Amino acid sequence: MNDKENIIEIHGLKKSFDKGRTKALTGVDLEIKEGEFISIMGPSGSGKSTLLNMIGAFDKADEGSITVAGIDLMKEKHLDQFRSQKIGFVFQLHNLIPNLNVLENVEIPMLRTKTTNEEMDKRAMELLELMNFPNLSETVKQNPTRLSGGERQRVAIARALVNHPSIILADEPTGALDSKTTQMILDLLKDIHKKENVTLVMVTHEPDVGAQADRTITVLDGKVVEGKT
Amino acid sequence: MSFLSLIVKNPFRNRTRAALAILGISIGIATIVALGMITDGLTASSQTTQNSGAAEIQVTAEGSNALSATGGTLNANYITELQNISGVSATAGEIRGITPAAGTVSGLLVSGMNSNQTNLEGISITNGTMYADGSNQVILGKQIAPVLNKTVGSTINLFGKEFTVVGIYSSGNIVTDSIAFVSMSTLQNLTNTNGKITLVDVKVNDNANVTDVANAITNAYPNQLSTTTQTQTNELMSKTTGSIKTASAAISVLAIIIGGIGIINVMIMSVFERTREIGVLKAVGWKSSDILIMILGESIILTLVAAVVGILLGVIGSEALLAFFSTTGSFLKPLFTWNIVLRAFAIALIVGIIGGIYPAYRASRLPPTEALRYE
Repeated sequence: MNDKENIIEIHGLKKSFDKGRTKALTGVDLEIKEGEFISIMGPSGSGKSTLLNMIGAFDKADEGSITVAGIDLMKEKHLDQFRSQKIGFVFQLHNLIPNLNVLENVEIPMLRTKTTNEEMDKRAMELLELMNFPNLSETVKQNPTRLSGGERQRVAIARALVNHPSIILADEPTGALDSKTTQMILDLLKDIHKKENVTLVMVTHEPDVGAQADRTITVLDGKVVEGKT
Repeated sequence: MSFLSLIVKNPFRNRTRAALAILGISIGIATIVALGMITDGLTASSQTTQNSGAAEIQVTAEGSNALSATGGTLNANYITELQNISGVSATAGEIRGITPAAGTVSGLLVSGMNSNQTNLEGISITNGTMYADGSNQVILGKQIAPVLNKTVGSTINLFGKEFTVVGIYSSGNIVTDSIAFVSMSTLQNLTNTNGKITLVDVKVNDNANVTDVANAITNAYPNQLSTTTQTQTNELMSKTTGSIKTASAAISVLAIIIGGIGIINVMIMSVFERTREIGVLKAVGWKSSDILIMILGESIILTLVAAVVGILLGVIGSEALLAFFSTTGSFLKPLFTWNIVLRAFAIALIVGIIGGIYPAYRASRLPPTEALRYE
């Protein structure tokens, strides 16, 4: 692991909201190596989700430096392109589009790329096969509203992987699931982390979940207080 | 799945809302289409009038005009007296009256004329024969005959008397083709107007100026006679067409404004409801312009569907409207042209763009973090 290069390098990162009144990140220093599975833990409001959003280029930091997959996010203009090519995001509430079927939901990130319909179908089916659906040919045609919470999250994971990202960012991916489904999703994420050789960064407040990562870091009052490197 | 299929699919997530939005806009477009068809029909009919080769001047009693005059308002002596006016080539008298007739709402206009003078109305028999003077025979214009459901050999009650349809005629003038002609003496007897007429048709010499002849008539009979030239009739028709066109344009603008506001409302609601989804799309790498195109496209899809519905409603509506007022409808046919279809789609497109641009812009500017936090 130590031979690998850093895929995420963060130094002195600061971010505040409400015109500086709410300080979310107060100087984060963090390095994550390529292929690592790390969990970010911390109490509610500690800044862990803000940190994840900074890594995913959903928002720009006020100060400091952040380089992800070789791209300086403080300077990069085409953040949408960065998100499309380098990042896969898994949300707590899956956020699938209700009027699209399972296959179409997985294809959504590819829709504005130059991928043909056939290639999109092929890639989406490949990933859905990895998700271990019992009756895949039927499931792909279903709307997500007809799936269980665990099944929806598996579709969301497939969607996150569809553009071959280098990094998967997961924000409380098991937060809305029961313990049995939680372990199933974690096993799936770990499996994908190995098979697809992606870096996995997961925010969680559940110690049992966090403990399954290669490394755990703790964020408190906008700073990484444990497990920086 | 393609980007386009997503845009087509999205507006119909909430079918009731989409249906109501489409209905609202389609009513505006239907009004525009119906008015457009009626206006074009009127324009076409006035153009037909211009092609008529009959008498150039119609003389009526002072204060009336040839398009609306009925009854025995003039002494029949004028028919011969007007022949003495310089530039007049021929004259013919007409007595006119309106009688109730099945298939019409406001009645059938019947003109009594000597059969050998009907050429001054440009009449030529296309089926059957000319009526005989003094008989209870009638000829019907080719426009009115199908409205009355009559053909050669049919009988028709005019002013309480049975008449036999002996001919169908064409005049090259859509207004003239929408009335009936009978013998002048027969109609005068039926309407107690012996020795009286409604108007005199005046044919002008080839080398005479129509306006000069018309002025000469009114100068010769001040406060007694009015003249209506073919040019004045055309001007009147153009004026009427112009008024309807202006009303049509005003309604179009109104439809665009009302439709646009409706679409803004629908699309803003849609964007609000899909805020998290927009956040997800941005999170997976969609550009702001992709979001803008998607929402704008959805708005345009709604209005284009409304255009199709509106065109159908407009065509059916204009036919139904003119069928109801069938006397007018007999010479005023709604005219369906591709220009109207293009106009309807262009208006729909404008409404779609106007209505969609603001919600689309708002959606495209949503920061992903804020959109993903939205509940």
